[in-house]
Amino acid sequence: MNWSDALIQLQYDLGAPQELSWLVEGVTYFIGAFILANAALILALLLIWITRKVISRIQDRIGPNRVGPYGLFQTVADALKLLSKEDITPASADKISYLLAPVLSVVGVLMALAVIPFGPALIGADLNVAVLYLVALGSLGIMAALMAGWGSNNKYALLAGFRVVAQLLSYEIPMVLAMLAPVLLVGSMSMQRISEAQALYLGPINLGIGWLIFLLPGAFLIYLIAALAEAEQTPFDLLEAESELIAGFHIEYSGMKFAMFFLAQFLNSFFLGAIAVVLFLGGWQGPFAAQIPLLGPIYFLAKTFLVYVVIQWIKGTFPRVRIDQMMQFAWKVLVPLALALITAQMIIMKLPLPIWLNYLLLLAANLAVVVAVLNILGSYFEREQVRSKRAFAPRSLIGTMQPVQSSSGD
Amino acid sequence: MLDVAPRVRKYEILPSLQPPGIPAVAPLPTGESEDTRRIAERFGEAVLAAGLHHGQQVVYIKPEQLVALAEFAKTDPHLRYETLIDVSAVDRSELPVSDHRFHTVYQLRSYSRKQHLMIVCPLEDGDEPTAPSLTGVYSGANWPEREVWDLMGIRFAGHPDPRRILMPENWPNHPLQKQVPLGGEEVPFTLTWEDPEFESLGKQILEAKSAPPKLPPGMSLENMIINLGPHHPSTHGVLRLVVELDGETVVNVDADLGYLHSGFEKTGENKRYKDFVYYTDRMDYLTAMSNNLGYCLAVEKLLGVEIPPRAQVLRVIMAELQRIASHLFWLSTHVLDVSGTGMSLLMYATRERERILDLFEMVCGARLTVGYMRIGGVSRDIPPAFLPHLEEFLKIMPEQIDDYERMLTHGPLWSERLIGIGKITREEALDMGLTGPMLRGSGVDWDLRRDAPYSGYENYDFKVPVANEGDCYARYLVRMEEMRQSLRIIRQAVDNLPDGPYRAEDRKITPPPRAELDISMEALIHHFKLMTEGFHVPPGMAYQGIESSKGELGFFIYSDGSARPYRLHVRGPSFNNLYAISKMSKGHMLSDVITNIGSIDIVLGEVDR
Repeated sequence: MNWSDALIQLQYDLGAPQELSWLVEGVTYFIGAFILANAALILALLLIWITRKVISRIQDRIGPNRVGPYGLFQTVADALKLLSKEDITPASADKISYLLAPVLSVVGVLMALAVIPFGPALIGADLNVAVLYLVALGSLGIMAALMAGWGSNNKYALLAGFRVVAQLLSYEIPMVLAMLAPVLLVGSMSMQRISEAQALYLGPINLGIGWLIFLLPGAFLIYLIAALAEAEQTPFDLLEAESELIAGFHIEYSGMKFAMFFLAQFLNSFFLGAIAVVLFLGGWQGPFAAQIPLLGPIYFLAKTFLVYVVIQWIKGTFPRVRIDQMMQFAWKVLVPLALALITAQMIIMKLPLPIWLNYLLLLAANLAVVVAVLNILGSYFEREQVRSKRAFAPRSLIGTMQPVQSSSGD
Repeated sequence: MLDVAPRVRKYEILPSLQPPGIPAVAPLPTGESEDTRRIAERFGEAVLAAGLHHGQQVVYIKPEQLVALAEFAKTDPHLRYETLIDVSAVDRSELPVSDHRFHTVYQLRSYSRKQHLMIVCPLEDGDEPTAPSLTGVYSGANWPEREVWDLMGIRFAGHPDPRRILMPENWPNHPLQKQVPLGGEEVPFTLTWEDPEFESLGKQILEAKSAPPKLPPGMSLENMIINLGPHHPSTHGVLRLVVELDGETVVNVDADLGYLHSGFEKTGENKRYKDFVYYTDRMDYLTAMSNNLGYCLAVEKLLGVEIPPRAQVLRVIMAELQRIASHLFWLSTHVLDVSGTGMSLLMYATRERERILDLFEMVCGARLTVGYMRIGGVSRDIPPAFLPHLEEFLKIMPEQIDDYERMLTHGPLWSERLIGIGKITREEALDMGLTGPMLRGSGVDWDLRRDAPYSGYENYDFKVPVANEGDCYARYLVRMEEMRQSLRIIRQAVDNLPDGPYRAEDRKITPPPRAELDISMEALIHHFKLMTEGFHVPPGMAYQGIESSKGELGFFIYSDGSARPYRLHVRGPSFNNLYAISKMSKGHMLSDVITNIGSIDIVLGEVDR
């Protein structure tokens, strides 16, 4: 049984009249949305703590450890501090877009929660166009950043606004194409259907490890790279590029408005990880998840946090790319590869072959994409090996300068 | 505005002390060298004097022939002075001379012949002292000449961009002229609050009017003009870059300096020689040891004092440790600029730098502004625990450098961001007067430690890394290799550390040990004389350049025989290297401007001085 059905039933049991069913449903969904939205806010506190701890461990530091056990309440303290800060609106700002932007950015992210299946029966709304819905929500974030960049009336913020449009629009295309791969394979855009499809039956027992990443590693890789860009994470964090644009589009924001952007960013990277988990890593599927329903949410959150930590790991290790390099990578590498992948997948799925051969061909096509991406990255690497030697051979230069001729002078 | 009479320090007129020395003019050069003879033959009457002075080749030339001389020195196949290192000037109004109030002084360097030439140009007196500009011959003269105009008030005829550079455009005077008071207010030497001197305490003696900002020459408002700094995380201090942007492409860059100008040169001219050592720490605060060394060497050149071998080796160890520390800090901030705060190398490099700072703390009690070196040696001997800790550092450091390289040199994104960015060709580097890794990254095989050895560097075996490409990546590789070579030098220095005194035994220059004061009257007198009056330096002028981590750090001292330098000029490598930022950034993206700033490796304390 679904959680909403259970809640509705509970209300009728408590004596709600049958003719007010619209009110009962409304109350039910309000309760659900209220719990989810607040859970997300608490989750954000946890995410920020994880980021700080992971990054500090990578950087050979300890990280927050003063406020609360293991510094868990550091973020709470920071949030309180931000709440108590002066709320500044620049005099020359475009008020409407300036004030609307932080709200919009958080709303866009929170709305994604509605379609994330945390467990077999734990989903806000099992939309049959959930994937499309998520893609549409992604554009809300772009709008918010652009409004903030424009509305602040600051040149740095404006530059960041330009970058937002360029970057997020460019990377949305490979991301959507990569998301299309599991959708095509499962034949549904419903997140719950995609999760359910990733079971693996050994006789009557569901092992829960029929994850699509084993079949579509290429699509997963493209999705992950594009998601890094969409989440504004290193190496694609040019939007805020603190060393260039100081803070990017939220440079003029202070206090809680700034906190909302901050919140939206962390939740966004978490949800992009969650979508990756649903589409490629089996969602709530896992060994014995079908037998013990409680395991479902645990598996789901564990996988999502793992993806999140990987994102932070990348953040601690990679430099940032430049805007032109980033655009080149999107349009010259990711988009053609994703297009080729989807085309190949469609052709393979229509081939009148036994199903296992279909799957094998699909895997081969995906592996080819993985190899291609790694090769493109690796060609830099090889060039690097040659270049790194060049400074260590100064002998090549001796002779361009002539030795001392006289001992006069200094 | 300027109604304040020059102030006279009170301790100078205490009756118990001798007068602070009779001003004298630096003696003219004597003898001759191949180069000075050649120049004297070529220019005949225009050469007022030529020869050797403290082992330096000096030519006095009339202003009419200055540009011709520079051109001759640059193009003549037997001279080949490719680069102009420094421009400075002396205001001689307090010297016992009546004519030629201003002298401009040029330092020329021939990398191919390993020669140094000092050109002195006595200017005609007048309302507006004017010297011909050398920017047509060496484009690197641009900023130094602007500095001389700004601080000394000498106009340069034919200068393409005659704006002030360090002081505000509307500053009422030229601070290095001798009649300008030291500035600020004197601290009253009294303990009663009734003293009338307290009334002026904290009052600004010069009225500073605000001036509306001007658009730098060559920029148009059609494009977006953006102010990078003075408060910007990546400008390494308070540097302001006015950047003209077309989209994200940089059309024009103009650097606005002086936010951290603290008048070190003026201060130095009002301090005794031994007291200025601590000020040098604050110029390039990341290479305090090198600054100490450069200043001490310049004064020692004038004094002609012999430095004991142990002190020399200690100086080398400290200077090389400082180079590693500075390069580590450069690396961490460069990585921070290019990649953002998430990048872990920032912390790794800082961790190793911390060890060096601990070593410094061990020898002198300070970590950043060390003030360790003294004229005549170093301030104290190393403690017994120093060498074991240094050994440990020498053991772990090579692995750490390998680690950094594994993270950056062999990583795809790092090279992608650096290769081809901020390209400077060999000719441009020579023309702009760049030094240090900026020069070696552009394919000029030059290192003062090897090619004009000081402090016993000729005794060490090390290689000078050179890269030909001239881009940010080349400079990155050069600096990484320099750290390894510095470790080699330290290794050899530690192995051959001689015993003996750690500073010169000349009681006229270095104070006697504390124990001696209790038993020797003479030691007490020496100590008293040194601590009150300081030592006198014979009249003369000297330029001493050393290879600091950022390039050639030069000190030019003009002594009038008193206990204070008559003119002290500092040639900051960051200042001259930063001149290249405009050339490096044009046509690249905004992100590359940040990369270039990091690659030049500036410290604003030294740029603005």
